[in-house]
Amino acid sequence: MLPYYLEICVVVLGSLMLCMELFAGRRSRAKIAMVGVAGLGVIFALLMFAVCSPGEDLQYWGIYHFDKWAAFYKGLALISTLLVLVMAREFAPVFKHYTSQDEEKSGIGEFYCLPIFVCSGLMWMASAKDLVTIFVSLELVTMGFYVLVAFMRRNVGSLEAGVKYLILGALSTGFLVYGIAWTFGVSGTFNLEELSVVLAGDDIPSAPVMFAFALLIAGIGFKIAVVPFQIWVPDVYQGAAMPVTAYLSVASKAAGFIVFLRVVDPFLAAPSIREPAIYLMVFVTCATLIYGNLAAIAQKNIKRLLAYSSIAHAGFLLMALPALGAAGTIAGPGPESAISFYLAGYLLMTLLCFLVLTVVRVATNGEDLTALEGLGKRSPFLAFAMLVGVASLAGIPLTVGFFGKFFLFNIAIQNAMQNGLWIVVFLAVLGAATGFYYYFKIIRAMYWEGSVSEGEVTGLKVGRLAMLAIILLVVAVFFFGIFPAPLLGLTL
Amino acid sequence: MSLLFYIFSGVMLVFGLLVVVNRNPVSSALSLVVSFMGLAALFITLNAYFIGVIQILVYTGAVMVLFLFIIMLLDIKSEQCRKLNYVAMGGGVMIVLAFVAQLTMILAGYAPGKQRLVELPGDAAVHQDVKRVGEALFTHFNFHLQLLGVLLLIATIGVVVLSRRQGEGN
Repeated sequence: MLPYYLEICVVVLGSLMLCMELFAGRRSRAKIAMVGVAGLGVIFALLMFAVCSPGEDLQYWGIYHFDKWAAFYKGLALISTLLVLVMAREFAPVFKHYTSQDEEKSGIGEFYCLPIFVCSGLMWMASAKDLVTIFVSLELVTMGFYVLVAFMRRNVGSLEAGVKYLILGALSTGFLVYGIAWTFGVSGTFNLEELSVVLAGDDIPSAPVMFAFALLIAGIGFKIAVVPFQIWVPDVYQGAAMPVTAYLSVASKAAGFIVFLRVVDPFLAAPSIREPAIYLMVFVTCATLIYGNLAAIAQKNIKRLLAYSSIAHAGFLLMALPALGAAGTIAGPGPESAISFYLAGYLLMTLLCFLVLTVVRVATNGEDLTALEGLGKRSPFLAFAMLVGVASLAGIPLTVGFFGKFFLFNIAIQNAMQNGLWIVVFLAVLGAATGFYYYFKIIRAMYWEGSVSEGEVTGLKVGRLAMLAIILLVVAVFFFGIFPAPLLGLTL
Repeated sequence: MSLLFYIFSGVMLVFGLLVVVNRNPVSSALSLVVSFMGLAALFITLNAYFIGVIQILVYTGAVMVLFLFIIMLLDIKSEQCRKLNYVAMGGGVMIVLAFVAQLTMILAGYAPGKQRLVELPGDAAVHQDVKRVGEALFTHFNFHLQLLGVLLLIATIGVVVLSRRQGEGN
């Protein structure tokens, strides 16, 4: 099967669901989400058939690339979209509350369709190796998120988040386009492979290249939420609907990182600007680690807490970047592999947490830490699932989060031994330790705080599909935390 | 050609002035539209057809409609009744004069500015820009054009959903 059929399948699936929403009867319309979940599952299976042999890079029209990274990140996009649809189904009652009780007026059918189209954009991002494709597919994704974030239109918080995301997103697009223009002006090419050849030359002026690099980092940095481009994160994460927040923090970040890796690579490989570029990256990394971890400590709202933790995780991921372009000098998995493994693990644990939180949100109507109080007694199953997710986010051994952090620290330490930048490792250790504190606040709320009377025990209902998803995610977090090899093998 | 240049420049300048002088924001915005049209005509007299057309489509079309929407959301009456602040106006005029003086001084001393521009090679450069842009867009960048189709679909869904009449009940 030709790999570019995958995205076409996704777009067709989305259009099909839209038609269903329009023409089908009331009863079959309720199954739109199920159609989406099933369709994405089938497309994920098709992805397995499209996988090329390792080291191969299939090219179509010189624009669409399909290599192991593209396949891996396409898989991440499909799985996260699938789980977000499951989550959205659970979230439907809250959603109707803030749009319209009437099924037809609430637009919930469109709410299931939009992530599918966004998913196609994410998959195109994974295949993009030139700046024009990157820009167009990134805009496709961002446009979908503008709508999704503001979707609960009777909720002031959601609308506020939508406006903030729209304005700051447009600003970041401006940075990105300006950076692309400068890159093109310096090198005369949009293609990243040609760019790395041009930048490797001696007669390239370093000042405009650095300027272009900084602008590109600013543009993409908005999407992956690194300091100082993180201002939108807490408010937007808090205001958006729970499934949208999960989607933003997982899928948008993963696709942003593959683009980030591909864009940064030619610049870091260029001898004339390698050193200042690395110092710039280190500055961004340190700022992200400090800000994300310290700001998370004081948070009372769970979504805000997870927003800051998402910034902190971006910081951990950035640690591996200075090792780019110095391949072969690192023992163990290289920077791209470590980052991809971490993102896959991050997908599992974050979506696990958000699935549990969605169920709690629907039952208790609260998003503060107090909403989790007594969860250990109300629903031991959900509390255990949340415990696993949070423990993995903190990086406790036997969970996938531990190996993720392990590989990244491995690279960061070897890096520091080469260039002496121990400050990154120091801040990361500090950040990981801080992480333990604020993640354990969640666990403490679940198991040690709040008293529950017997009458409340029956409050939490979990849909069958969501239950299955939670169980699978818990198993996956443990499985890859004990045997990381299968997952790591995909990224090597 | 030079007569056309003076006519369109004159239109631009007159309506540019009207943008500032008009008390009614809507008239100001519409004057800006005419001023932009003069600019587009100038581009076309320079054989830059594509930029000329885009100037009309994007600036006079899209951007100005946006302006008018924003003006509609504002309170026009209070804008109209506002008193002139002569001190601020005097300061503004001073800045403009200083800028013009500086510009003329610098341009007068800039030797290459007095040379004629190189003529473009004959007919090849004329009437070709729209065609070239179109060709590039529909052949080399055709893939991206298809992606933009999906983007527009998302935007359409978004507009329909977000602007839908709010349902009853809580």
